[in-house]
Amino acid sequence: MRSRTQAVLWLAGLAGVVAIGVVSGTQHVLTLSIQTMTLAALALSWNILGGYAGQISLGHAAFFGLGALITRELWLGGSSLVLAVAAAVAVTAAVAAIVGIPMLRFRDIYFAIGTLALGVAVFITSGNLWPGITSLPADDLRDYDFTSRFFMTLGVLLVAILVSVWLKHSKLGLGMTAVRDDEEAAEATGVNAFAHKMIAFVISASLAALAGSAFAYFSASYFPNFAFSVVWTFEAILVVFIGGVGTIVGPILGSIFFVVGRDALPSGIDEFQVALFGVLFIVVVLLFPGGLTEGAQKLLGGAPNRSQSPADKPTTRGGKELV
Amino acid sequence: MRTRLLVVLSVLALVFAACGDGEGGDTTQPQDGETTTTAETTTTADETTTTGQAMEAPESINIGAVVPLTGAFGGGGAQIERGYVYAVDAINEAGGVFVEEFGVAIPLELDVRDDASDPNQTTSIMDELAGEDIVAYLGGFATPVHAAGSATAERNGIPYLGAATSTQALHEQGYQYFFSPFPKSPDMAVTVFEMLDGLIPEGERPLRVGIFQEATDWGEELGPLFVQEAENHGYEVVLHETYAPGTTDYTDLILAGQAADVEALLSLPTPPDGFAIYQQMGELGWKPPFNLVIRAADVPTWNDLGAAGEGVVLSTPWHPGLGLPGTEAVNERHIEEVGRPADPVVGSAYALVEILADAIERAGTLEHDAVRDAIASSDGLSTIIGPITFREDGTAPVPNPHMQRVGAAIELIWPAESATADLVYPSP
Amino acid sequence: MTQLVLQSVVSGLLVGGMYGLVALGLALAFGVLKVLNVAHGELLMVGGYAAFFAFTVWGLDPFVSLPLVFIVMFGFGTVLYLIVFRYVTRTEIHTRIKNSLLISFGLVLVLQALAVRFFTADERTISTAYSSEAITIGLVRVPVVRLAGLIVAVVAAVLLEWLLNRTRFGRAVRATSEDWTRAALTGIDVNRVYLIAFALSAALAGVAGSLISLGYSVSPNIGLGWTLKALIVVVLAGLGSMRGIIVAGLFLGLTESLAAVWLGGEYREVAALVLFLVVLSFRPQGLFGRAYA
Repeated sequence: MRSRTQAVLWLAGLAGVVAIGVVSGTQHVLTLSIQTMTLAALALSWNILGGYAGQISLGHAAFFGLGALITRELWLGGSSLVLAVAAAVAVTAAVAAIVGIPMLRFRDIYFAIGTLALGVAVFITSGNLWPGITSLPADDLRDYDFTSRFFMTLGVLLVAILVSVWLKHSKLGLGMTAVRDDEEAAEATGVNAFAHKMIAFVISASLAALAGSAFAYFSASYFPNFAFSVVWTFEAILVVFIGGVGTIVGPILGSIFFVVGRDALPSGIDEFQVALFGVLFIVVVLLFPGGLTEGAQKLLGGAPNRSQSPADKPTTRGGKELV
Repeated sequence: MRTRLLVVLSVLALVFAACGDGEGGDTTQPQDGETTTTAETTTTADETTTTGQAMEAPESINIGAVVPLTGAFGGGGAQIERGYVYAVDAINEAGGVFVEEFGVAIPLELDVRDDASDPNQTTSIMDELAGEDIVAYLGGFATPVHAAGSATAERNGIPYLGAATSTQALHEQGYQYFFSPFPKSPDMAVTVFEMLDGLIPEGERPLRVGIFQEATDWGEELGPLFVQEAENHGYEVVLHETYAPGTTDYTDLILAGQAADVEALLSLPTPPDGFAIYQQMGELGWKPPFNLVIRAADVPTWNDLGAAGEGVVLSTPWHPGLGLPGTEAVNERHIEEVGRPADPVVGSAYALVEILADAIERAGTLEHDAVRDAIASSDGLSTIIGPITFREDGTAPVPNPHMQRVGAAIELIWPAESATADLVYPSP
Repeated sequence: MTQLVLQSVVSGLLVGGMYGLVALGLALAFGVLKVLNVAHGELLMVGGYAAFFAFTVWGLDPFVSLPLVFIVMFGFGTVLYLIVFRYVTRTEIHTRIKNSLLISFGLVLVLQALAVRFFTADERTISTAYSSEAITIGLVRVPVVRLAGLIVAVVAAVLLEWLLNRTRFGRAVRATSEDWTRAALTGIDVNRVYLIAFALSAALAGVAGSLISLGYSVSPNIGLGWTLKALIVVVLAGLGSMRGIIVAGLFLGLTESLAAVWLGGEYREVAALVLFLVVLSFRPQGLFGRAYA
């Protein structure tokens, strides 16, 4: 019964979002929505590796950028969008599979910084190899169709949500969370940790590439290396944690808070606007250590959701460092 | 289930954002800036309209400026903002802009937004401004921001004027709403060698040229142009090295320059890199007789550099020493508010507003396409950067003066007619 | 060519010394408090501005103002701990890292924005009479400023080692890093340890910033770049190792320099990062870290 009401409400939410795309004429709203959805999709993709499987990757932007790059090149070169996106996702998945083999041997902070190093290296290289700007030709810009971008991005987000939901309730997902909570224990019970991490890695990368293709389709003009920038990784992670890691609603909520919040701050106070956002950020984190979802749940009364962040689990062996 | 409430909440949030925006964001605020007065000091304009045209005039002409005030391009962005503010104030003090459609002169109102040097924010802010009845966009600083900006403007069908970008490639996309009267790579390359030929007698010229090329699109564009112009003028390119922006150590490039006996070093570094290069050249004890750095020269920083930055020739889009109309007032205000003569990009930004105001007057209306056409047909319009006539691609021939850092002063050395000092060559 | 290689080695080591110094503070914060402070670079930036103003307003040579900067940044770090990070250290380790990451991100925004407001966004640098001086040894030139930076880094590391290994406070710190609940049970004032350690980390960042102001330049947004380098160095050295930090820094600087010689300036950092990954593959616990248990 509960899950049916849940499903109904998700559909209602979806309907609401679709309505925005169809009804609202304001470009500003459309742009913000598309940017929010793109970030949410990216955040959800990170959540699969970081939230479910517990592997904190700081090089995620590399996959986002790769997806954007391939989509853009193929699409502007004449291929259909569908083909371009498919190719982007496929290639990125393959790359992730290859890269994952050495990278996934690292654990915890080493994995984090290792992926960071990789991400930065890829960023610099992309700037060296593709320094030229990629712009939609003037005619295309004048005929630019927001609606198709909106629904394409919505579609991307829906795919990310569906994959996340499916994974969460699958045996695969269970294996991932087992690895996250205690890798050795999971191995002991017959869960192939490496395989699970690898699958999470590849799925995560593929969804990131998908989000990247949405960015490539939406953006009028940008430098290719921008999509590889470490800022995308940070924003995705921030948004996941602010919203509530491990949940599905969390990354979405966090994205809304971040993108819309940053935009909605009153202008007229120059740098203080940015500083204010920073302060707001800190306050939110301090007040809601479990993320906005957990915070909202606490406010509305009741126990937090089961599959929350690993934060709620007490660390084994007392206060001893696990890192 | 609590999650359902959150879903509802998030949908509500989106809906609110949509509605709130539909009512028209009330953000037509006066321009920001630490030091300035607001632009609405003059009369409102909804009194008597002249004969017939019974259209009610708006209170002000809204201009949306998206400028990086924080982030990597904050320094340049601050200069741009100043230019815009000074120009808007000057025009408003003179009575505003006469718009025939309403038959009255209307003051300009500048809305400056910070995009934090983030092209994503540039786009979303510009889209927001599009819904606020602006007549045109004024752009920010640096090519990545302008790339996003010009494309967004094209998409939105609103004229966009930008300074502080020299990449010719941006103008080769067939955009019709993008105007940038600013020195561009092809012209800059030619100017450099004309200047060398013009200021240094034939037997003493630094014929061995070395290029430190930044691995960015502008670097890739300008580097080969330098090579070509060098050849055209009889110079020899003996070194052509590339580096990624943000490099901390330039030993390899500097030593290569030394080994190749470079006599004229040309570089186009982003500000922190430029200083690092010259700092390290000082430490390694090598400096060629002629040094050219192309970038909107950041005066305070080059002053900080001391001996290492001595004698460096800086390319700039504008200089108060050119004595072009309007310079004196701008300079005075700048000295009073900032404590030094007007920075290079201030002039370029100022001119954009002049061009826009003139175009609105000639168009007689605030309608986007008419204003765009008026801008495009600017013909010898006198501005603080000289007479402006746009080419088809949105660029315009503009001055490209060069300065040289000599001791505590930064002297204008080119063009020769406006020079305040001679080129010090070889470099101390 | 020999000159190029030799000079590159020297330059690389000198830059590496700087990387090590920047990383020391971060290693302390991460090693002891288990917080990931991505605003470390911003603390560095603040210290850099402090030194810059001491120089331009009072004419203090940056080496003379070093102790002053240290004290000021120590105070600043104390304030930051009390206002913000103190709340983070009350939680479990995993939450700590996550929350500190988030909070320090907010701090990055705040500090950068305030810096733009108060200092303007222009790059500034300190140039002294000896800024371009160098000691010539055979084919190589050793710039005095950078050499001094390396010396400061080594001295700081040595002092830190002494503090951690030879003092009672150091023992308390080590015990707390090891297992803070048990440390608390033995009567150690964990909060005080955390406070001092964090303030110290901020002070070290400030000192590094001071030298960066002198040897490079300072502007509101230099933080992230240096934080990234520091993170790499900390992991390369291996967690829990202070003495390894400077060595790891030197290693990183050296690889960058030599990579530039053979691969060209564009790929110096890429090569160093790749090498970092390779080293990590063979020694996952870092160069000097304890073997992963």
